[in-house]
Formats: sequence, C-alpha cells, structure tokens
Amino acid sequence: MNSMNSGQSDGTWSITTRVIVYAAIGAALYAVFNWTTFAIQIPGTQNVSIRPHFGLVTFFGFAFGPVAGFLVGFVGNTVGDQLAWGSAFGSWWWSVANGLAGLIAGLFPVWMASRMTSLSSRAMTAAVAGVIGTVVGFLFIWIELIIQPELGFNTILTGEYIPVIVGNSIAAAIVTPILIYAWEPLREQLGR
Amino acid sequence: MRAAFRYLGRGSWLSRRDPRVLILVPLLLVIGGSQMRDARQLAVLLLLAFGYYLLARIPWRSVRVQWTYLLGVIGVFALFNALITGGRAGTFIDGPTHVLLTIPPVGAELTAEGISLAASQLLRYAAYAAVGFPVAYALAPGDLAIALRRLGIGDRIAVMVELTVRFIPTLAAEFGETVDAQRVRGYDPTARGGGPITRLRRMAPIFVPVTVGSIAGAEDTIDAMDLRGFGVGRRTWSRELRFGGADWLVVGATMAIVGLATFLNLSGQSQHYLLPFLVPA
Repeated sequence: MNSMNSGQSDGTWSITTRVIVYAAIGAALYAVFNWTTFAIQIPGTQNVSIRPHFGLVTFFGFAFGPVAGFLVGFVGNTVGDQLAWGSAFGSWWWSVANGLAGLIAGLFPVWMASRMTSLSSRAMTAAVAGVIGTVVGFLFIWIELIIQPELGFNTILTGEYIPVIVGNSIAAAIVTPILIYAWEPLREQLGR
Repeated sequence: MRAAFRYLGRGSWLSRRDPRVLILVPLLLVIGGSQMRDARQLAVLLLLAFGYYLLARIPWRSVRVQWTYLLGVIGVFALFNALITGGRAGTFIDGPTHVLLTIPPVGAELTAEGISLAASQLLRYAAYAAVGFPVAYALAPGDLAIALRRLGIGDRIAVMVELTVRFIPTLAAEFGETVDAQRVRGYDPTARGGGPITRLRRMAPIFVPVTVGSIAGAEDTIDAMDLRGFGVGRRTWSRELRFGGADWLVVGATMAIVGLATFLNLSGQSQHYLLPFLVPA
C-alpha cells in the first residue's frame, strides 16, 4: 500500500502517514539522545561541544522532506527538554531553531534534485544542507534579545550562537552523510 | 536505560483535571513569565507555580535529578552571563554597576547587577519547570493527542506528538540493545582516543543501526495506519473532553496572571530589581 491509495498526496509539504511516522521516530530518537546528553567536547574550548544526535534532525529533513525535518527538530527538542529538565516550553525558541534547521535541510533535495545523480553527490549535498540549515536555522535564537532581556548581545553570540553552530555543523556534516549512505540502499530496496 | 514519561501523578488533584489544563498552564505561564523582570514579582510567580506543582503530588525522588540538572545548568549559565555582561544588560544596561569581585586574569567583573539579573533568570526558569513537570508526570497516557487536538492542533500533528512519546521507551531499549550487541563484537563506546571527529565517526556503529533499523521497522506502523484510514478524512476520537469548574478556575487564574504580567510589562512596572543586600553600604 502506498500513500496514493490512501488518498494522501505526496507533495513536498504534504503531511502524509509516512511523514508523520518517520517524524515521530526521528523526534523520539532525538529526544532520547538529547536526554542522555551525548556530547563530545572540542579540546581547547570551554563550551563548544559536538552533539552527534543533531545529525538526526538534518538527516530526517534531507531524507523525508522539510515537514519531517521541522517536526523532528521542533518536537524532538521539546520532548527532549521535557525529559531532561521538566519544561517543554521554557526554551521554545531553541525548539523552533532546531525545527528550522531540519526544515531548511529538507529543502535542498527539492532545490537540487537534478544535481544529485549519484549516492556520493547526494551524501555531499546532505552534508552541505546540514551545515547551511544549522547556521541559518539557529539565527532564530537571537529572539532572546527581546524575550530574555537579561542576556547581553555578547552572551548570546559567544555563549550560545557560535558554540551551537560550530558543534551542530560538525555533527551535521559528518553524521548526516553517514546516515544517507546507510539509508539510500535500503530505501531503494523498499521501493520508497 | 529507562527513558519514558511515567504517570507518577496518578490520582492527584491535578491528574483529574482536563488534560488541556496541564498543557495550557505552562504555555500561558511562559508568556507571562517572559514579560516579568522584577525578581520580587518572579519570586511570587515561582511560589504560585510551586503550589501548582505540589497539586500533582510527584514523588521528589523521581524528579530530583531533573531539578538538580535544571538549577545547575541554568545557574551556571546565568553566572556566565553575569560575568560576560558585567551586569550591563536589561534595565541596568546604561546605569552604574557595583563591582563585588574582579576575576583574574581576564578582569571579568561580578557585580550586584549581574547577580540580580541571574536571580531573575533562575526564578523564571524554576517557575517554568514547576508547571512543566506535571505535563510529563500527571498527564494520563493516551490523553496527549486528544488534548492537543482539542487545543486546535491538527489531527495528524497531534497523533505525531503522541507517537513520539510512545516510541521513546522502545527506541531507548533498542539503543541499549545495540550498544550491548556492538560491545560483544568488540566495539568500545567509552573509548577516548582520537580527536573529536574520530570520536564522532566512532559512534556510527550505534547511530546507523538504531536509526535505519527504526525507519525500516516503521513500515508496518505506516501500513497499519493507512489500512485504518488514517489521514483520509476527519478523525473521530473515542474520548470526549469537557472543562469542569475546577478546570476553568485554574486556567482563569493563569490567564489573570498573564494579564497582570502584560499590564506590568506595558506600564513599565516590571523592571529588573537590584537586590539591596548585594549593594555595598
């Protein structure tokens, strides 16, 4: 059975059963890894660490579309925050930023479909999509200048934005293509 | 690894409320709390939030790790912000500061204003957590999707959120099994050798099987949902939700707090408060 038979369309922005279930899996994985605070500190830095599981957000966006990417980042981060420190909505802007990173990564297969002719070009595009999605998506956290007036510009820049885009970009650039290499052959086998 | 939302607040007064109340209250409090800056007002907000939290009767032993993590992380970050800004942020951005301590060698100043700002941050986040915990521990399993739907979220997204919560224990168990299986094959998840990139790539034997295996296993779930007509038409729900008097009381009180916070914000009566006992005589 495919989604066409169930009456659901398969456009880029469609919320089909497949998108819902894949997004739920991605969000659950992201939340679980978030909760376990899986991070690799970059030597020589105080607060820059690589969170490998962030690659899941950009992978799900790239592989299953912008809607899935946004939901994995947004819902995954929200549920992960609830698991870790009991407040799903306390840092809602970080959840939105994660969602935007996944959404932007999910737009690349739409924009660059004609250029991804091989598995290696697809994996390379996924890495680039992950980095760009991260850098642009996390611009949203600058909303803290309004909603958290205690934070200064320098605090947000040096304590939040730069550490997160460095760490998450590295994770996205490495983990996303690894997952693409693993998923694509299976996707062809399944006929998706 | 036990990763799940446990229904610890079962039987409490809060757990008997309409599930929409448990979602609305933290959402509204975030809107109100983000408009408050005065530490005295935030302390009152925290007291009210804590009273709400106690109504969920969540055993302290089950959540003390989360509370410790929250207060620790927020406290450290608030202190970091106090040092970076030197207290020149928010309401104190243009005024003089009272230096309490200068930290060598960078000469960062810990000021009374910086600590006052940190106190506001900590109080605000503690209030958020106090009303947030009942969402995880006093919301009955199976009520999340219907509550989101009746709050105006679409059928498919509401089901997606509930599926996420349902998948967490299963995927956490799969993660543990995969780590054990790879360990038996000689994989060492605790190995520290190599740079950050090498260590990141070393996690592939965990990430790849768990992720790809979960996606492949989802095909059955997708087919089962399609066979039951998911997403074809308007979804019906077996449970009816109806606000009772107590539900209206709680939501009404929270909206009153938001209204007051908005009034205080717009009238300029919620500026950052310099804690007087920090100012040298």
